[in-house]
Amino acid sequence: MKYAPLLLLVTVAVLIALPWLVSGSMLNAAVQMLIAALFAMAFGLLCGQAGMLSFGHAAYFGVGAFAAVHAMNAFGGEGLLPTPLLPLVGGATGLVSGLLAGYFSTKRTGVYFAMITLALAELLHALAPHLKTVFGGEAGVSSFRMPAWGIGFGSLNDVYFLTLVWTLVSIGLLYLFSKTPLGRLALGLRENAHRLRFLGYNTHALGTLIFAISAMFAGIAGALQSMNIEAANYVVLESHISTAVVLNSFIGGVRVFLGPAIGGALMTFFGHVTSDLTRVWLLYQGIIFVLVMMFLPRGLVGELVERLRNPSGEGLARTLGTVLARLVSLAIAAFGAVFLIEFLQRVLSPEYRAGVTDGTWPDIALFSYDWAPLSVSPWAFGLGLFGIGIALVTMVNRRVAARKEAQA
Amino acid sequence: MGFQKFARGTAAMALVMGAATAAQAEPLKIALVETLSGPQASTGLLYRDAVKYQIGKINEAGGFGGEPIELLEFDNQGGPVGAADRVRAAISEGADVILQGSSSAVAGQVTEDVRKYNLRNAGDEVLYINLGGEAMELTGSKCHYYHFRTSPNAAIRVNTLLDGMKEAGVLGDNVYAMNQNYSWGVDVQDNTVAAADRLGFTVVEQTLHDVNKIQDFSPYVQRIQAADADTVITGNWSNDLLLLMKAASGAGLDVRFGTAFLDQPGNIGNAGAVAEGHFLSAPFNAQVNPEETSAFMEDYKSVTGHYPSYVEPTTVFGLMLLGEALKSVEPTEDGLNAADLAVALENATAETPMGPISMRADDHQIIQPMIVQEVSKDAQYKADDTEYGFVPIKVISAADAEQPVQDSCKMKRPG
Repeated sequence: MKYAPLLLLVTVAVLIALPWLVSGSMLNAAVQMLIAALFAMAFGLLCGQAGMLSFGHAAYFGVGAFAAVHAMNAFGGEGLLPTPLLPLVGGATGLVSGLLAGYFSTKRTGVYFAMITLALAELLHALAPHLKTVFGGEAGVSSFRMPAWGIGFGSLNDVYFLTLVWTLVSIGLLYLFSKTPLGRLALGLRENAHRLRFLGYNTHALGTLIFAISAMFAGIAGALQSMNIEAANYVVLESHISTAVVLNSFIGGVRVFLGPAIGGALMTFFGHVTSDLTRVWLLYQGIIFVLVMMFLPRGLVGELVERLRNPSGEGLARTLGTVLARLVSLAIAAFGAVFLIEFLQRVLSPEYRAGVTDGTWPDIALFSYDWAPLSVSPWAFGLGLFGIGIALVTMVNRRVAARKEAQA
Repeated sequence: MGFQKFARGTAAMALVMGAATAAQAEPLKIALVETLSGPQASTGLLYRDAVKYQIGKINEAGGFGGEPIELLEFDNQGGPVGAADRVRAAISEGADVILQGSSSAVAGQVTEDVRKYNLRNAGDEVLYINLGGEAMELTGSKCHYYHFRTSPNAAIRVNTLLDGMKEAGVLGDNVYAMNQNYSWGVDVQDNTVAAADRLGFTVVEQTLHDVNKIQDFSPYVQRIQAADADTVITGNWSNDLLLLMKAASGAGLDVRFGTAFLDQPGNIGNAGAVAEGHFLSAPFNAQVNPEETSAFMEDYKSVTGHYPSYVEPTTVFGLMLLGEALKSVEPTEDGLNAADLAVALENATAETPMGPISMRADDHQIIQPMIVQEVSKDAQYKADDTEYGFVPIKVISAADAEQPVQDSCKMKRPG
């Protein structure tokens, strides 16, 4: 772990240089990845560190988004609240609403806590369409990023840097928070709240405070989002935003510090890239979640950290060899599965079936080859690759297990 | 010497090739930013079919500037955030026209994004053609010069529906306004109430209820019964419409429903006999002008595999208008000047199987004929493989369907 500071520096440097490295569309994805990362980090504080699983974090994200949009319209980017400071409004409203909601929801723990957060978020979601002046009705509230501090904020680069600075500062603050006594107590709350209470701590106040801080950072993320798209719409309060942050954080690994951020960024990037490539990208997203939960329950980052902490003791070359062999065989299996799913999706699509006339099934182009759906070849190709990949993975796993047994 | 000759030759070649590319304009790129995945994809995919069909027709007729139009597809992932992202992507890939329709929430985002982009990039404007976001404010407080709506709105739907029902003698004296409690439902309710004096009926009661949350509509049906209403005017869609009609029929209530979205695929199949005798006002019916319409129906089916329904005909007609406008625009060196196209759209008229359509310059709302229709077994084209379909009761001409420009629309025209 001695390389961690160096790695961090390199990452930050790459992030700063990013506008000159990638295309506009990718930079746009990067802005959303940063926002998703910050939102997931806010969630991670509550769920990973303090062990409180919230199913309603979209509420604080949305509250922050609307507060920022209204502040943007009220101040016009001047005076007390110039454009770069607008996320403060999102953070403040997130904090206040988090204090209120946290007071009620942290009275209970576990499943009941999750239900209360869900109920509060749904309450806001059901209320929002009725309050047209606050939430803007179906077409939403829109705004305009005004220039401030000599920066135009019209170009994507400006927006990217604004989001980057706020995200990095917020994640830095979250890291420092985790080192404070309060941050340490959050871990205690997760591990054993009863013992904490016997030690004389007020666990309800503690829970409320951590909930509010998590909501504050969610509010900042929401504000950054509404500044990015220069609008807020009440669909931001929908429950799928709450579930997305849960999925993202768990895929990344909710108990390691940067796990949620990396999970959020990765899954946002995945959606950005695949949604224009295939109609069934949501299916792939679901499959990834299920696989991660089944085989890497600590999440991607969690598993990586665990492996680095407890090396297998087989030497670098051998470990790398095993990892590589696993990755290659998994890639083969994944390609087979993707091929099958895509082929099936094309066969079942209404456009294709419109072209099927009197029993003749035209060929389907997939991965630059034409396949006849009634012949064996596409199905055998997909199933075969999938089977070979899975067989290879099991073979590698067996050999590793055999080596371990021989050592022991 | 050999090398010099070679160099000269290459230079000449390069010149010729450069000249050739300059003479040939960039192909016009049109981007469809629609919901193509997830739970709301079914409507988005209908827009996609219709857009592909009509862009194909325009390309068959020569495209734009001698080049076929390039259609780019983007998945907005169902929400405004994805839409904002995809609009940026579309513009950076060189799209001059953006098409979208399946949600007013997304339309609100797209229209504002386009407005702001045009403010920041004067001289390099893009156009947004709103194929189906029917919220009033899109041609009201949010209207702007580069937004064009090719679908009707709440005012047009409700007023034509009431006119048609009145003329057919099925609009009772006691009307109940039952709507979903958000901007669309409120718009429908306001327009129903506003038409009461003109058409001589009383709005006995108005109800706004939760959107897509109610499973049991029987309390609402009891209120309709208690109010002694004979007609219910509703802007409800999807489950809120189906469950309301089923609850009314289950309670043996003898009321006639006037609706805006009864033709959504699946509604008739789901409601079956319950839908019979109820009314709808929409910009298309397959039995109007049978000759031209059935040619259109069959041609559409041969390309996409199904008859056009719901939002598809309006989308095709809207793009016909775009095609007409493109005919009168001269391609510039870098493709298309969006400001020229905006002017052309304001002056264009298109002959659709339903009649002529045009774009009103004051708020960029399409002016098109509306057809008031009834669900009946006599329909020539059946919906959802049931024995029911839509029979036209009255065709309301484009001029009669027109509704006044909203006061809130303060459109800034360039220059």
